[in-house]
Amino acid sequence: MLPIARGIYNGLASITRSSRGAALHTASVFRSKAETAAASENEAEAADGEEEPKSSAPDPKDRTQVIPVETSMRYLKSAAYKKTYGEDYVWTQYRRNHKGMYAPRKTRKTCIRQGKISTGNPCPICRDEYLVLDYRNTELLEQFISPHSGDVLSYSQTGLCQKSHLRLRVAVEQARDSGLITYDVPFREYDYNEYYGQQKS
Amino acid sequence: MSLLRHVRRLNAVQGLQHCRREVSSAPAKSATLKYDQDPQPLFTDAETQRLLQSMTQLQLDKVFRKKTVKDNRSETKFMTNEQLEQEFLMTIEKAKHLLKMPPIVKIKQDTERPIAKDPALKDFATTKYVFTDITFGLPHSERKVVVRETDGTLAYASLDTIKRMNQLYFPLEGRKSYTPRMFAYEELLHKCLEEHKYEFVLDRLTVQYEPYETEFHNLSARVFEHLNESKQFDLLRSTRHFGPMAFFYAWHRCIDDLLYDMIRRDYLHNAVELIALTYKIHKIPVEYTETLAKLQALHPTPDESALSELRGFLRRPEEKQGIEQEIHTAIGKTEQDFAADDISLKFIEEYIASEHSLKKVQLELAVQTLKEINLEKLQLFQGLKKAHGVQAL
Repeated sequence: MLPIARGIYNGLASITRSSRGAALHTASVFRSKAETAAASENEAEAADGEEEPKSSAPDPKDRTQVIPVETSMRYLKSAAYKKTYGEDYVWTQYRRNHKGMYAPRKTRKTCIRQGKISTGNPCPICRDEYLVLDYRNTELLEQFISPHSGDVLSYSQTGLCQKSHLRLRVAVEQARDSGLITYDVPFREYDYNEYYGQQKS
Repeated sequence: MSLLRHVRRLNAVQGLQHCRREVSSAPAKSATLKYDQDPQPLFTDAETQRLLQSMTQLQLDKVFRKKTVKDNRSETKFMTNEQLEQEFLMTIEKAKHLLKMPPIVKIKQDTERPIAKDPALKDFATTKYVFTDITFGLPHSERKVVVRETDGTLAYASLDTIKRMNQLYFPLEGRKSYTPRMFAYEELLHKCLEEHKYEFVLDRLTVQYEPYETEFHNLSARVFEHLNESKQFDLLRSTRHFGPMAFFYAWHRCIDDLLYDMIRRDYLHNAVELIALTYKIHKIPVEYTETLAKLQALHPTPDESALSELRGFLRRPEEKQGIEQEIHTAIGKTEQDFAADDISLKFIEEYIASEHSLKKVQLELAVQTLKEINLEKLQLFQGLKKAHGVQAL
């Protein structure tokens, strides 16, 4: 019985794998098309993630394209960014959707599944594909750091999905380690006798 | 824990790629200036310490500026005047504690100190064994750490191992077990310095390294050298790093930029102290103790001035101030200050005229401008006094 079952399973698996491969293939084609389209357009204009999708534009929910950090850093300084968010932080205007009075304790696990936005209300980072979490992108990271405690703000406040939140914390930690973001270093107490011998300074 | 794991994994895979691509993986350059002798006896000397503390100044706003800490609640209390006075004194003590300078000592050389050689124990294991005395309350320098090598030798551990073991059993808050990337990569450090994050770099340096380590000397010297070029001395004023900085410049005979900054900001007594410190360090036969004593009599110490500033908040606005006081607040200087300025200017001019100063023209100009401003203020001061009829005092 067992070998037969295994045979059937293998067959099924190979079918699904091949179909997914095909899907990926089409996606990559789309991507290459989009790239050629974006190259002709002005980049700052293309940077606005919340524009109406044009007929020639690819699926707006597609997130397979990797945006380099440099583009993201330029985007944060651009007019398109200003128009979208104004003076606010990227998470200020975001509201979570939930049934009942109270939001669930945790936010959703991820907004992007299989390279696509899988939800109607993606989190502030996932909804705008030009916001890239990286340790060099300090302007973005600083929006998520509390000015009072110096910690990364909780997802209950910012509404980030769990995956983005983890990436955010990693990026902030790396940026601190690299000295790109300053923080208040704990005060070092010295036992002066240890360095100067017994004489007291 | 999971965050740490992720950071480490990312650092290992992606971070290193970034570094290779973007950040030149060359380790931090070493500084050009080094302490050629043991600077410790001169630094810990009581007079030097007094001079350095006076130069550092005590600006309460800067010492107690808002910090991002876990718990920053504030407490509101009703107090009598006596209690408030007590509280003021406590505040000054606290501020002085926060301004305590990191020690300056010479670089400690690592020596091998074997205890016993037991060839019989050769190849007893494939790894070294480190034994640490983890008695509670021992100072770190007295903690015994010994290593049994694989070839059977028992020896005292190297400084590096001792530091690692201390960090393992008695962790110091903020110290990393690896070299922070900021210090490891030249480009990141350079970026920090270019953005004038001097205090941040120095704070991190004190936490990460011990004062007797080579890295500590190298990196702090680099920061001070960069600071001497960018001339942003005010960033470090009233922090714990100002004293070591002034000492560094005095030791290496490059005080002129700092001196210029002090004159421009009208901290003349500080300028005198800096010159006196240089004379003291290099044993230049110029008599400075007399001038210093005179200035000390005329000028309040930093904690006295901070205390009077605190008491100033207590005074009610409708309370009658003496006319003398009013003139003082209008001009910002008292008769004592003018007298002190005269003494200091004389001393500074002597220094500029001597062969020890390197940027004579610049300093002379600064002194000249300051003299003119002072003269104007003095005339105004005397005029005001005459108008109010208090010149008899």
